Amino acid sequence: MNAFFRRLRWLAQRSRKEAELREELQFHLDEEAELHQAEGLAEEQARWAARRELGNLTLLQEDTRATWGWTILEQLRQDLRYAFRTMAANRLFTSLAITSLALGIGANTAIYSFMDSILLRSLPVSDPESLVVLNWYAKTREGDSVMKAMSGTTYDEPNSGVTAGIFPFPAFELFQKNDSVFSIVFAHYPSWQMRRLNVSIKGQVDVAAGWTVSGDYFRGLGVAPVAGRLIISDDDRAGASAVAVVSYGFSQKRFGGAANAVGQSILIDNLPFTLIGVTPPEFFGVDPASPPDVYLPMHTNELLGASNQFGFRAENYLARNYYWVHVMGRLRPGVTLAQAQAALAPAFQQWVAGTATNDQERANLPQLVVKKGAGGLDSLRRRYSKPLYVLLTLVGLILALACANVANLLLVRAAARRREMALRLSLGAGRLRIVRQLLTESVLLALLSGALGVLFAIWGIRFLTLLLANGRANFTLHAELNWDVLGAAAALSLLTGVLFGLAPALESTRVEVMPALKESRAGQPAARHTVWRISLSQILVMSQIAISLLLLVAAGLFVRTLANLESVELGFNRENVLLFQVDARKAGHKDPEIAAFYADLRKRLSAIPGVRDASLSEDSLIEAGTGLPLGLAGAPPNPANRILNIGPAFFRTMQIPILAGRDIEERDGPGSPAVAVINEAFAKANFGNRNPLGQHLILREPGEGDRLARDMEIVGVCRNARYGGLTRDIPPVAYLAYSQGYPRPDQMVYALRTSGDPLLYINSVREIIHQADARVPVSEVRTQAAEIDHTINQEITFAELCSGFAILTLVIACVGLYGTVSYNVARRTGEIGIRMALGAQRGRIVQMVLREVLGLAAVGLTIGMAAALGTSKFVESFLYGMKSNDPLALLGAVAILLGAIILGGYAPARKASRIDPMAALRHE
Amino acid sequence: MDRELPSRVELLQGTLDLLILRTLLAGPSHGHAIAKHIRRTSEDLLQVETGSLYPALHRLEAKGWIAASWKLSDRGKRARYYHLTPLGRKQLASEQSKWRAFSRAVGLILNPVDQEGP
Repeated sequence: MNAFFRRLRWLAQRSRKEAELREELQFHLDEEAELHQAEGLAEEQARWAARRELGNLTLLQEDTRATWGWTILEQLRQDLRYAFRTMAANRLFTSLAITSLALGIGANTAIYSFMDSILLRSLPVSDPESLVVLNWYAKTREGDSVMKAMSGTTYDEPNSGVTAGIFPFPAFELFQKNDSVFSIVFAHYPSWQMRRLNVSIKGQVDVAAGWTVSGDYFRGLGVAPVAGRLIISDDDRAGASAVAVVSYGFSQKRFGGAANAVGQSILIDNLPFTLIGVTPPEFFGVDPASPPDVYLPMHTNELLGASNQFGFRAENYLARNYYWVHVMGRLRPGVTLAQAQAALAPAFQQWVAGTATNDQERANLPQLVVKKGAGGLDSLRRRYSKPLYVLLTLVGLILALACANVANLLLVRAAARRREMALRLSLGAGRLRIVRQLLTESVLLALLSGALGVLFAIWGIRFLTLLLANGRANFTLHAELNWDVLGAAAALSLLTGVLFGLAPALESTRVEVMPALKESRAGQPAARHTVWRISLSQILVMSQIAISLLLLVAAGLFVRTLANLESVELGFNRENVLLFQVDARKAGHKDPEIAAFYADLRKRLSAIPGVRDASLSEDSLIEAGTGLPLGLAGAPPNPANRILNIGPAFFRTMQIPILAGRDIEERDGPGSPAVAVINEAFAKANFGNRNPLGQHLILREPGEGDRLARDMEIVGVCRNARYGGLTRDIPPVAYLAYSQGYPRPDQMVYALRTSGDPLLYINSVREIIHQADARVPVSEVRTQAAEIDHTINQEITFAELCSGFAILTLVIACVGLYGTVSYNVARRTGEIGIRMALGAQRGRIVQMVLREVLGLAAVGLTIGMAAALGTSKFVESFLYGMKSNDPLALLGAVAILLGAIILGGYAPARKASRIDPMAALRHE
Repeated sequence: MDRELPSRVELLQGTLDLLILRTLLAGPSHGHAIAKHIRRTSEDLLQVETGSLYPALHRLEAKGWIAASWKLSDRGKRARYYHLTPLGRKQLASEQSKWRAFSRAVGLILNPVDQEGP
């Protein structure tokens, strides 16, 4: 290390050292001359004698400099200076190479930074590596199972099973007892009723995201408050005083600071809570997909659920077949994941077997799976990992393409520098030394591209975030450049530099010195000598064409998918509809007044000038999905039937045609006979060819004996409209009047059909609702079109990104092809000149050049097509309305690419045909 | 007696460093004086080539065994004077003992004990 720094210091003093060495040697000569003079020589002769004895002065200086120990650095300096000079001399080449590489590196860095933030990052808690998440896995979700009811998300596993991270509360207590494995076990429950909490602070009402946690949650995660205290075991008891903890961001937004928040009294869903503390700024809970604003003790679920017909009940704590609570634990030091699995799985197995009541249930018991918990819950990973891997593959291909492109351009340039290399080799330069110098050039090129690429990546990340967020303000996915990502980008640049530089560097130093030197300056090297080089260049061009084809096919598939999705028949008119949600129950409205409140609100909203129709439903059509026991009178309920509670004029507002009968009207209120409108699918499934009008439907309240809830007369049949998503089959749906009994109205989504831009009406809407009841916040404001776009967000992102990628590839491939063909034409100037002198027509020359290009293209396209057919099935799950070998996408890609190839090849071919034979031959 | 003694002896590899260090033990000196001293002291048997002296001096300096400074020479010209560093002194001691061991070993082989004696 010491020696290294000494060398560095010397390097800085280099010119002084040089001068000193000259002076030192001059002194030596003078002394020697004096000596000779003293021996009797004349002054002039004495000088010459001294000079003679010294020998080769330059060599002596070289040898001395070598002992200074900076030869390597010195050479690097030379190489760099030379590289900069070469790059400056070839501006077009340099800018093409740097731009294409930078685009490749930038795209990779951007995607990688998303992968880093989604797939690789750990929770910002103490010692995240010792955390585990408990899951179960069951072979099938069909048939009877011990899992009679669930609240939470289940995931289908690739090998056709089902997995989830929710457990009955007694199972959680079982894990808590197992203190040989865990130092602490804690639970949390992101209840659906907590997803949108009405939080009222000093009369200001807003919607906040809530999450309930067990008393050991914060202690288990090792999170310390920034202000106040966090939830402890004493807070999580039935009858404990109601307390809440808020996130740092929420405290900033609503209180202007963490310290101000502590001790405040707030209303949550119209119930009083005391705010006891604030979590640290970096903490976002355990699910990166949904950071909560408010943390409540788990026992608040009963409190908040009491007023809701589907709310949480205290019995759930005892239920052994109700799966709802998420369990996490911290392993004791030294306990491995496998040991935890081995210790806990049999205990859970034994417990869960005790909850089964028949053989079928016993045959399909859930098995415990202990998973790493350092990254928290894997909801975000499950959603984005596959799309990100696909994107990473695509940008990886782009980078490979850019590398091939630059390698080819370098190869072309290396060929042009054959004489230079031959000259240097013949003057005694070592081959290694030349390879090192050429590599310095390519690595420098790559590093400059990497620097530019990081700039592109910053834009790319912003653009991708915008694309993925799709207008959502609370978008949680924040990718950023950190040292990991920058390190990866730098490593990538270095790797690409070596990768695309090595082959041309080795290639250009394999020069046979004599023939190369004998070549005329502009003449063509005889083909015999260059078989290998040309074929390497050809391989690169072919692989570029193949890669381009792959990317074009991907773009074609995703664009066609988007087109298919956008042309999906909705059954309603998406344009000019404003949607927003209100929840009067959470603001304190009770039955039966709540229905009147909603009806009055609808009247007020319809009166806004420019609002043509107004209606309401419990969910928007796209998000609908309610199944309750519903069937024909005198028949058992059909589980396929779906319902949607709607308000008057719903079909008129959404512009869903009524095929027979009528819309739900204002007269269909609380006191009047219950009515329903069914869709075509319902009519077909339940009535066949019979006329459904006037028939009766029976809705039952699930539970012991399924109590009769509503007996409704069918008053209308409507056209099929999308229900619960864009691509799912439209189920049989019965539309019920929201005010006519069970299920009683909770939140409502209002739909306003407006003239002109729906977003212009937001302020009027907020004003009217504020006037009606200031305690009721307006949330989820969006247009119907935006809501639909949101559901196909991933497809839109993929189509836009891949189109961008495809254009990028086409440009890069065209540039590469143009460069290669141009060079080959230039190299063959003499040959073409002779052909033309011998009478070849211009058209023949163009044909000749293009034929070679098309020959390469044919091979490249064949390879690309085979690769596309082989790999496109991996993206099948991203496609809609077509197969992965969609002929239109494949043929379209081939046609576009062929066009680009001809374009890239025609310009140089035309130039070749313009060669003046006389000039070409004289040149020789 | 054969008067045709070789006028010059080739330096053994690595001995130049030792000679330089030993010369500098007497005090600071410049390159030309070092060469002269070695030549004179070895009775003109050892001729130090200028081409290897200066690289050797700079190499020893890079190793930190000797250090250089600019001083006025006897004739009043600026010259680069080298002097031993403490590290160089230590090095010299170990080189010297190594050399003695080496020359004793070679001596033992060239003049076997049984032919010695009075």
